[in-house]
Amino acid sequence: MKLSTRKLLDKSFTGYGIFAIILMACALLLIIVPIATKGIQAFIFRGTIEYRKLRLEKFEEGNLKKVNAELKGSQELRKPIYDMIDQFEKDIRELEYEERREYRKELREVKKSLKELFGPAPGDHQPVLWREQYGQTRWDRAKIKIDQVLFFEEWDYSNPDKMGVKVLVDRKSLFKGTSLEPLFAYVEKHAQSILQPKLVFYWRFLFDESFDAHFFGGIWPEVLGTLYLTLGAMFFAIPMGIIAAIYLTEYAGRGLFISLLRSCISTLAGVPSIVFGLFGLAFFINSVKVSESKSVLAGSLTLALLILPTVIRASEEAIRAVPKTYKEAALSLGAGKWHTVLTVILPAALPGILTGIVISMGRAAGETAPIIFTAAVSVGKPLHFWETLSQPTPALPWNIYNLCTEHEAVDEIRHVQYGMVLTLVALVLILNLAAIILRARISKKLKG
Amino acid sequence: MNIIKRGFALYSALILTVSLAFAGNNKLVMDGSTTVGPIAKAFAEYYMQQNKDVNITVSESGSGNGAKSLINKACDIANMSRFMKGKEFKAAADKGIMPVAHVVAMDGLPILVHPSNPVDKLTVDQVRDIYLGKITNWKQLGGPDKKIIKISRDTNSGTYETFNKLVMKKQKIAGDCEYVGSNGAIRQRVQSTSSAIGYAGLGFVDKTVKALSVNDVFPSAKTVASGKYPIARPLYMFTNGYPKLGTHLHGFMTLHLSPRGQEIVESIGFIPVTQY
Repeated sequence: MKLSTRKLLDKSFTGYGIFAIILMACALLLIIVPIATKGIQAFIFRGTIEYRKLRLEKFEEGNLKKVNAELKGSQELRKPIYDMIDQFEKDIRELEYEERREYRKELREVKKSLKELFGPAPGDHQPVLWREQYGQTRWDRAKIKIDQVLFFEEWDYSNPDKMGVKVLVDRKSLFKGTSLEPLFAYVEKHAQSILQPKLVFYWRFLFDESFDAHFFGGIWPEVLGTLYLTLGAMFFAIPMGIIAAIYLTEYAGRGLFISLLRSCISTLAGVPSIVFGLFGLAFFINSVKVSESKSVLAGSLTLALLILPTVIRASEEAIRAVPKTYKEAALSLGAGKWHTVLTVILPAALPGILTGIVISMGRAAGETAPIIFTAAVSVGKPLHFWETLSQPTPALPWNIYNLCTEHEAVDEIRHVQYGMVLTLVALVLILNLAAIILRARISKKLKG
Repeated sequence: MNIIKRGFALYSALILTVSLAFAGNNKLVMDGSTTVGPIAKAFAEYYMQQNKDVNITVSESGSGNGAKSLINKACDIANMSRFMKGKEFKAAADKGIMPVAHVVAMDGLPILVHPSNPVDKLTVDQVRDIYLGKITNWKQLGGPDKKIIKISRDTNSGTYETFNKLVMKKQKIAGDCEYVGSNGAIRQRVQSTSSAIGYAGLGFVDKTVKALSVNDVFPSAKTVASGKYPIARPLYMFTNGYPKLGTHLHGFMTLHLSPRGQEIVESIGFIPVTQY
């Protein structure tokens, strides 16, 4: 080949490499940036007066005097709204039945959307559910609700051959010429001063329990559950995995059985995670009965099985990579086989083993399918350590899925879902970082 | 090797004793229907606020799984959006479990379409024909020329069973129907697909989807409670025997009879069993 062709080939190869890396970086950016920007909204947002009221009434947090003063101002601004409604209700009493019924129907919609925005009207009875006791606690949600007070959606089906078209109707137009008409302009003008949004840094999102099915509060039970499950899985998988790897590399012969065992382990690594989940349910819960119901213990055991092949494989490779001379030196000095493995080979292989553990730890934290049937629930308290043996727990991966598919009010609580995603990603990152640092330290020690 | 063996024995013995010691904790485990899920979750949180010493967990995996869980003694309460089948009763009795049904709420099964769909009423027969694959285009129902995309719950679901019984009259749903795993997923599928049709519990209907009148009756609290709306059903919680008086299980299972419990049911969008 001519030199110039070779150079060209070389260059184009480098070019491809750079291109691939840039593509990967872009993809990563595309994934990480929305996760971070949307997720952060669960922690930092503009909280309204309703938020401060909730914190004060339910958690006795915040400055009592200040919040009460703010509340007073807010209530004074709200009063004209409810006065207007009262006046309107008086006015329509004199109308004909048909007309009155029509107005009543529309008024009910107005009241409903106002209730969603500002909370129950004065004099209403106190609802049981928290989500109905307060108006919008977040300014971003409140803005949507303000729009719903001012406008409503209608669908225009006038063209029978096409799908309907969405039309925004100004609610004001329904009440033209009545005493309620000024209400809409008033709400539009004063909504911000009524709700008084202020920037909140809600770091306790991580450490609060959820209240009213994730409408309020944080995600501590989920975070704790994920930690328990991950650490539990490591607790079972690491000793088993390393011992198995030692056996396979140092003790096992070359028989048919051993090679069969090896290929079984490799196959196990490729088994879909949902199969592990079902196995965990059938074996750990229904047959062995490690616990009466789903539990963290059963989930950890299932996850341990899932990551076991990875741990075994990585440890095996790491042990194999230890130079033979180490072992020979130890044996020649009179050390027994067991002693050699424990004091010479394992320490030398430790960085490699840790890499395998790091990879599998991330997987255990993020895996959903194995815990659906064995450990995860959608609502539950944060568990004490000893309760993990018998009780199920919420966990981040499962609850992210649950919130976006099964929750009855998905759109109202998107921020919680995003916050959970960010937390899970951060959690995996932190676990990995910790392990990487640990690994670097150990290799340094070995070299030094 | 001896040390390891001994260590292992010790370690498993430890786990066993600890788990035996704490098995009798104050916990209630609920499993089952995704339709009953919102009620169960709200009840659980309300009950836990009143009784700080109890932990109630709720999972939503479908009515069939709830029944299986109760039969395997893996849960205390099985949430179900259909009644237990004879087969399940038999399996339960064989294992010494005596399922007792508690009706916690009533629910209608609105037929859902995308809000842009001009069709606003159907008859039960038309719905059945759609799912049988006899009607395939909205044009046949007075709508625009668009192929109907059928969405159904999976066969493990009580909502599916109800639909199958009341609408399909146990005839087989056409093969090109799409099956999804929860009520929320049906709503999401319908709100994002303009030519879709689906069905879900009353509590899952919001402004992003349009509920149709069926046989000229619109699904609402009133029409379901009065029995006028043709596709309605009770929602159940099953326990093993009637809960022992004074236990948390008993307290929890009578919550739906109290005014507060009924208010919760109503706020979530379902229909309380009695008028308080």
